[in-house]
Amino acid sequence: MSASKQQAHVPQTTGHVWDGDLQEYNNPLPNWWLMAFYASVVFAVIYWFMYPAWPIAGTFTTGFKTITYVNNKGVEKTVHWNTRALLLQETNEAVKAQKPYFDKLSSMSFEQIAKDPEMNSFVLSAGKELFSDNCAPCHQQGGAGKVGFAPNLTDDDWLYGGHFSEINHTITYGRHGYMPPFAGVLTDQQMTELADYILSFEKYPVNPASAEAGNQLFHSETAACYYCHGADAKGRKVIGSANLTDSIWLWANVPAAKTIADKEAAIKTVITGGLNRGVMPTWQGRLSTDQIKLLTVYVHDLGGGQ
Amino acid sequence: MTTTEIGSNEQYNFDIVRRFSFTAVLWGLIGMSIGVWIASELAWPFLNFDIPYITFSRFRPAHTTTVIFGFGGSALFATSYYIVQRTCQARLVSDFLANFTFWGWTAAIALADVSYMLGYTQSREYAEMEWPIDILVEVVWVAYMAVFIGTIMKRKQPHIYVANWFYLSFILATALLHTFNNLAIPISLFSMKSYSLFAGTQDAMTQWWYGHNAVGFFLTAAFLGMMYYFVPKQAGRPIYSYRLSIVHFWALSFLYMWVGAHHLHWTALPDWTSTLAATFSIMLLLPSWGGMINGIMTLSGAWDKLRTDPVMRFLIVALSFYGMSTFEGPLMALKDVNALSHYTDWTVGHVHSGALGWVAMVSFGSLYHMIPRIWNTKIWSEKLIGIHFWLATIGVLLYITAMWISGITQGLMWRAFDQYGNLQYSFVESVAAMHPLYMMRAIGGMFYVSGMLLMVINVMMTIRQGNNAPVQVPSGNLSVAGA
Repeated sequence: MSASKQQAHVPQTTGHVWDGDLQEYNNPLPNWWLMAFYASVVFAVIYWFMYPAWPIAGTFTTGFKTITYVNNKGVEKTVHWNTRALLLQETNEAVKAQKPYFDKLSSMSFEQIAKDPEMNSFVLSAGKELFSDNCAPCHQQGGAGKVGFAPNLTDDDWLYGGHFSEINHTITYGRHGYMPPFAGVLTDQQMTELADYILSFEKYPVNPASAEAGNQLFHSETAACYYCHGADAKGRKVIGSANLTDSIWLWANVPAAKTIADKEAAIKTVITGGLNRGVMPTWQGRLSTDQIKLLTVYVHDLGGGQ
Repeated sequence: MTTTEIGSNEQYNFDIVRRFSFTAVLWGLIGMSIGVWIASELAWPFLNFDIPYITFSRFRPAHTTTVIFGFGGSALFATSYYIVQRTCQARLVSDFLANFTFWGWTAAIALADVSYMLGYTQSREYAEMEWPIDILVEVVWVAYMAVFIGTIMKRKQPHIYVANWFYLSFILATALLHTFNNLAIPISLFSMKSYSLFAGTQDAMTQWWYGHNAVGFFLTAAFLGMMYYFVPKQAGRPIYSYRLSIVHFWALSFLYMWVGAHHLHWTALPDWTSTLAATFSIMLLLPSWGGMINGIMTLSGAWDKLRTDPVMRFLIVALSFYGMSTFEGPLMALKDVNALSHYTDWTVGHVHSGALGWVAMVSFGSLYHMIPRIWNTKIWSEKLIGIHFWLATIGVLLYITAMWISGITQGLMWRAFDQYGNLQYSFVESVAAMHPLYMMRAIGGMFYVSGMLLMVINVMMTIRQGNNAPVQVPSGNLSVAGA
């Protein structure tokens, strides 16, 4: 078929035909489309006048928008719009809102902060943020901890003490829990006896004879458990050794083990290999003294403190 | 009929089109399935199973590479080889080079996927392939360029059809982008590991110049080329406006090159660079819409086809998603909107409204049009196309709605301050808030991939039918063309 024949049927096409029937009308550009395109160009030009835009000979057009902020020397500065100044300006606002509370915080004791309802609300708000960003990766969201990983901060058990000053010390300097491995020192039988002794505190139905043998061993010079865990097996907070008489478990997951044999095995794993995982880093230098103080009150609140 | 068929086989190389069409749908199924898997990993992390090879980090580039370059790329090779021959009335200039592009490209995708799973990556988004695969892609691309340009040069038609301009700009731009973004020095001749030639902000800028133009030329210009052939063909009507096609083609090609930096708002990038990217993105809106207008208006006078023809429905709905995401994109490129949307799932949603809504749907429509014709048969089941259409549409809508809500929620939670000047939410709280939306996204993906599965079945049955009874239906207007 010829192009002219096609044009007779559809007068507005360009007259070209491809692949049998492909043709093009030659409609004008839609007016609204053209106007909207011009409008977008106008918008762009206005935007260029507002913000830094065109590079010219080593510098650039700065635009009319300005930002005023206070720098870290307390000097107010007004500069052309830029991302960094905007960040500083927004940070200024947040710092300004926080300042009265932090000012009060530095001069107040832990007890005063905890008793002041307004300061307490501030601690809850700022503490949640600090805790989530810095502590939650180990102690989990809300401080619930994880058996075999990091202690629960919401219970009444405090390995290194739950008083304000003790918590503050823990956060500032960090902690390192250690228990030597007993593999090769104690026989499997002896470890079972020790496990039964520990389980007997929680009234688990263990073999009483075995538990009694464990009791002897615990206080003997062979195993010498009492050196660290104390004669009453209640732990010593100066070295962070665990209280073995309560039902709170950090490393051996006794509650999750179903049978007595499994519970024994869980405890024996710890005795065999010892522990060198209970490491909490120091936070001084990374967090400010005030932030650590605030976190101390927050963490104290979580578990009711001591 | 028989003579038409024999004549057409001699006239055009359709073997290469058949190969690429078939691998396109297979890559589609594989790539989208990996996508659903990683979406599920985000919703239900146990699915990582602590197996390093299938963790999100390694599967994610396997997903994007397989869908963009495997599915999208093969669909582009297939349709461009089909269109350039038919609209130039010329057989591909070299069967050998065309076959080389097929084997080279397919090998590159397979090697890329395996290397990602083994942990090799350049860590450049959409350019994760390490240097040996980059070199393979480079060689394949030069061969592709030679075949495409060579075929245009020996055309029997005086004018070059608009679809070919778009394919040509896509091929040229991709060559440029791929070459410069992948300039890297291997740590040794026998190591897969390499380091980029650029550093710091320049490196980021090069990557996003590549990244956004991969969207602009690979995922937009090329698929507009597809649209410019298959929409008028399927509608049986002329393109709405030749003038509009010229204007928006040049505007699109010129403006796209400037906008990559909008991926780097609120970073160490100089503010003036980011402003230019924002404004050129805004000016890009209407040129992008030119393609949508031209496609949709082509159908005016034949709107009834939307009711009766599922292939047409795919093409037109694809254009609607194209219009929507090219509106959303410039909006997100504005500094203030970006302050909310950057680093959130909104970006992920935006990409997928473009990828699932536009790129994949226009490819589905085109492949459904083309596949029966190149196998000389009818589609095995038109009803399945209809079901595929609805599964795909519901899938996209679930996906992007989930990501809008999730992205805006994230953006708002991250920037919320309370009365004390403290952040109101911790990051992990925002992660927890995403969980239901991640499930919704995974379900959307499942809808989409089940549609893809129907397509694979439909295509395989169509091929079988075509192979069993090769000359039942004439393959279009080959013998009439230009007579």
